[in-house]
Amino acid sequence: MKLAVFKSDFRTGGDMLDRLSAEKLGIIFVGNGIYHAAVKDAGAADPVLQKSANFYVLAEDLEVRGFNASQVPGNVKVVTYDDVVDLIFNEYEKLVWV
Amino acid sequence: MIKKIAFIIRSLPYKTEASRLAMTHAIASQTVEIYLEDGQNVEPIVALVGDGVMNGLKSQSAKCYGVSTLEQHTKNGLLLDLPIMYCKEDVERLGLTEDSLIMDADDLGGDMKARIVPMSEINAALATATHLQIF
Repeated sequence: MKLAVFKSDFRTGGDMLDRLSAEKLGIIFVGNGIYHAAVKDAGAADPVLQKSANFYVLAEDLEVRGFNASQVPGNVKVVTYDDVVDLIFNEYEKLVWV
Repeated sequence: MIKKIAFIIRSLPYKTEASRLAMTHAIASQTVEIYLEDGQNVEPIVALVGDGVMNGLKSQSAKCYGVSTLEQHTKNGLLLDLPIMYCKEDVERLGLTEDSLIMDADDLGGDMKARIVPMSEINAALATATHLQIF
């Protein structure tokens, strides 16, 4: 299964995300989910970034909140709305939102 | 009689209206005196704690949402002389610095400065408030 997971919260939904696995897993940080990629809580990168997955973060939602692409770890790809549409239609078969 | 109202903002911006409501209510309380009797007044204070400190980040750009930024609300609050405090422990925990946060509204002609203070100082300020409101 090729599964894309939209993560739009910062402090909730992690338990569900931990349980999900897929042959190809993509995690797309949108809305307040961008803090997973942009913030180091107590100096440590967010644990979700340890997961075996492809990570994406929506550029527009980063910029709204005062962050930019240079503040995102190298394993997270910064994408636009158009890129997200391409991911949905071309890269993943199923989508969930947590 | 002065009623001191503490607005405690712990919510992240944008996904919900909570922090925006807190700031607009705090700002509105600066204009409420026209409805009060002589001798009455309202004195607001704003404390950004936990994830709420993110509301004060510089360089927010909400054009794609079509709304004003919480950065602008924070500056407007300072312009109207709202005392705004950031929790020092949370600022440090989230890897933020004074340079990354809105600390003044100099560009708008404001004099008030925001302060980064320990939670103990915020608690002391809350202890002096008549009402506490958590957003």
